[in-house]
Amino acid sequence: MAETNSVVLVSNDNFQFVVRKSAATVSPAIKSMLDRRSNFAEARENKIVFQNMNAVILEKVCEYFYYNEKYRDAKDVPDMDIPPELALELLMVADFLHT
Amino acid sequence: MMMNRARGKIRPPRRGLATDPVDFEEYWDVLAQSLREIHAKNASRLSFEELYRNAYKLVLKKHGEKLYANVKQLVVEHLRVVAIRDVRPLVPSAVVTGGASFGTGSIEKRIGGSSFLDRLKAVWEDHQLCMGMMKDVLMYMDRVFCADHKIPSIYVTCMGLFRDHILRNPQYNIGKALNTVILDQIKMERDGDIIDHATIRSCVYMLEALYETEDEIESEKVYLTSFEGEFLRASAEFYAAEANRLLRQCDAATYLRKADKRLHEEYSRSHDTLSTLTEPKIRAVVEKQLIANNIKEVMEMDGSGLRFMLDNDRFNDLKLVYRLITRVDPEKTDLKTMLCARLVELGKEINRSVVSPVAAAETSEVAKSTSSDDKAASSATATAIRWVDSVIALKDKYERIWSSSLESDKGIQAAMTRAFTEFINLFQRSPEYMSLFIDENLKKGLKGKSENEVDAVLDKAITLFRYITDKDVFERYYKKHLSRRLLMGRSISHDAEKQMIGKLKMEVGFAFTSKLEGMFKDMNISEEMTAEFKKALQQRDADGDESASKVKRIELSVNVLTSTFWPMASMGAEGGHSCAYPAEVEALRQNFTSYYLGRHSGRKLNWQANMGTADLRATFKGVKKELNVSTYAMVILLCFNDVPPGESLSFQDLQTITSIPPTELIRNLQSLAVSKTRILLKKPMSKDVRPTDVFSFNDGFTSKFTRIKVGMVAANRAENEKERKDTNEKVDETRGHQIEAAVVRIMKQRKILSHAELVSEVIGQLKMRFNPDIIMIKKRVESLMEREYVERVEGERQTYKYLA
Repeated sequence: MAETNSVVLVSNDNFQFVVRKSAATVSPAIKSMLDRRSNFAEARENKIVFQNMNAVILEKVCEYFYYNEKYRDAKDVPDMDIPPELALELLMVADFLHT
Repeated sequence: MMMNRARGKIRPPRRGLATDPVDFEEYWDVLAQSLREIHAKNASRLSFEELYRNAYKLVLKKHGEKLYANVKQLVVEHLRVVAIRDVRPLVPSAVVTGGASFGTGSIEKRIGGSSFLDRLKAVWEDHQLCMGMMKDVLMYMDRVFCADHKIPSIYVTCMGLFRDHILRNPQYNIGKALNTVILDQIKMERDGDIIDHATIRSCVYMLEALYETEDEIESEKVYLTSFEGEFLRASAEFYAAEANRLLRQCDAATYLRKADKRLHEEYSRSHDTLSTLTEPKIRAVVEKQLIANNIKEVMEMDGSGLRFMLDNDRFNDLKLVYRLITRVDPEKTDLKTMLCARLVELGKEINRSVVSPVAAAETSEVAKSTSSDDKAASSATATAIRWVDSVIALKDKYERIWSSSLESDKGIQAAMTRAFTEFINLFQRSPEYMSLFIDENLKKGLKGKSENEVDAVLDKAITLFRYITDKDVFERYYKKHLSRRLLMGRSISHDAEKQMIGKLKMEVGFAFTSKLEGMFKDMNISEEMTAEFKKALQQRDADGDESASKVKRIELSVNVLTSTFWPMASMGAEGGHSCAYPAEVEALRQNFTSYYLGRHSGRKLNWQANMGTADLRATFKGVKKELNVSTYAMVILLCFNDVPPGESLSFQDLQTITSIPPTELIRNLQSLAVSKTRILLKKPMSKDVRPTDVFSFNDGFTSKFTRIKVGMVAANRAENEKERKDTNEKVDETRGHQIEAAVVRIMKQRKILSHAELVSEVIGQLKMRFNPDIIMIKKRVESLMEREYVERVEGERQTYKYLA
């Protein structure tokens, strides 16, 4: 697959999120998954299936990616809205993705 | 909450969330299978996410340690296979078997070596790539398990495994083979072969990427610990041998060029073949072996060493010498000493070449009469000029070398100055010669030269002047020569004279030149005075003074000289050389004397007949000629006015009539009767003038010019032995006064001072003018004590006290 600026993230319930690569590679895990040198299936297909995330969580993750990219160098950043019921699961995912 | 600052601290609660027990074996099998696939380069079939998730789960379930160990095991197994299957067959046999058969052809060696390196490089790159992938997959383990337990990450560990199982493989000696092969290849390149830089470079990269321990300490790169030392040793050996060979085979220039080339080679080698880390070290090795150990020998090489380069203006070679030496010795001691030694040698040669003919001339001088004395003296003048010219040429040459080859090095310049000072001052007559040189240039040399050229010549003279320590001696000579120039109207350009004095003033200060300037002032005042005197005479004429009308025929131009400014003694004016002037002249003289004394009371006027000139009108067989002669010659010629044609006067007669001192008389008669302009005839005809000779007016004298200048023989000349002795005595006397003055100045200020301090202060004050002799200072101090200017402090023998 040709180099593109975006990557497809797929949740375990098969929702697809098209995310800009520059935002998604905030996560070192995703970054190395897409590393063309090691040429894993994900890098080839430009698509990552996350078996441990459902759509709700993955959406929040994508939201964070953009949030992070937007405020990367800014000061006085507004807090991101995190629903309490998702907090724990998000924490785990954050650990998983190392973000 | 998920923002960056929280990174790495938040952990999911381990308990309760994922309760299902994880079967390690099951997960590991999957992982191991995949890792093997990675090794086999089949990664594209694998899902990173799956592997990552598996590792993640294992770590999460506290299987991190086991996972770590298993991965290690897996890598080790793989590397073993690689070592046996891939690398071993290509290890050059000679290395493995202990290097017995090293005589294999270079082509074979090169091919064998480079295929070994190629393979090793490929293996290494494989390993790096796989480890990179594994590291990515096992990132979670590295991040959580390794960080928590403070053990090196899997990547680092696996690099260590590569080191231990491939390079340091106990069975196959791969590391040693690698070293040997690389060294071999480098040696081949040094010998002129062509090798594959890129491969060696990547193998070196490999060595650089590996560390002795898992802590990855910079100074413990495998490259540094196991390769570099050997490389440097081998290089030192190689270059020591090479230096020996070159010393035996090449001349200095070739040696230097080769050494320089080697340095460049090693520099580029360390950049594109080995590691930049080695660059300073290998440079040091080459510098030591090729330059530091041998440069002296090279510079001393007969027929091509430093001396040859200097003598033959080998600017490029010299530049090379300089650059190479600067590498090993920022002080450049050897270069300096050798350069200066050569410089002094050349200087002494110049001194010698000048001294020997003069010495010869001086011995002949004793035997012959005065005429050859004068000739010797004028040839000595030429010698003086030759000397200065040679010195200036030498200086120009070395300046050129210095600026073009020695990068205008300050230290060397200082050393060169010292060398010049040394040999110039070794030569006793240098101040005299220098002054003669300037004299000559101001007299005739500057004709037709532009102002800039004049300036250049004078500047050169000044630079040499700077080297002279006995500046007072120079001053004495300069004064003498200057006075001659001024009085005889020999100086071409007053501007040039003024310039020269200005330069001297810049160099040594006002005190030095005040007298010289005084001389100029005297000249100007005299001119005005002459004009005024003339006016006064005319005035008197107009008043109808009968006695003055007789005087009118003669014009007088007088230079009144302040005796302290002018070097009277060396002008031979001491003791008031005078003569019996003919009546007309005598009247005029008295006129002026009374005129002058009338204007300035309390002054004494001494007439120096030996310095003046006179214009005469004479008739030779009806042809009118104008003669320009010295005052004495005028007096002599006027004697013949009273002699009927055909009659003659003897030497004795002339002496009685004129009462000119015999030496002067001889000199003047010589110029009148022996030189080209023979206004007098002498009997017998010979070159010398003897007291028994008889002179008569030469009526048959002819010349194509109307105006004839009868040259005084050797008006400006180098001194003979006696004169020089006189000068030296005079100089010593003056120095004595100056030392006394300095002592008094210092003591007046300091009141009490120890002997050593006093001496050093005196030297400090006077070194601009000359180098005071310590014994002389002591004598002067003693004399001052006698005259009660200073006294010894009681009880302290070496301390003086000033007496107001």
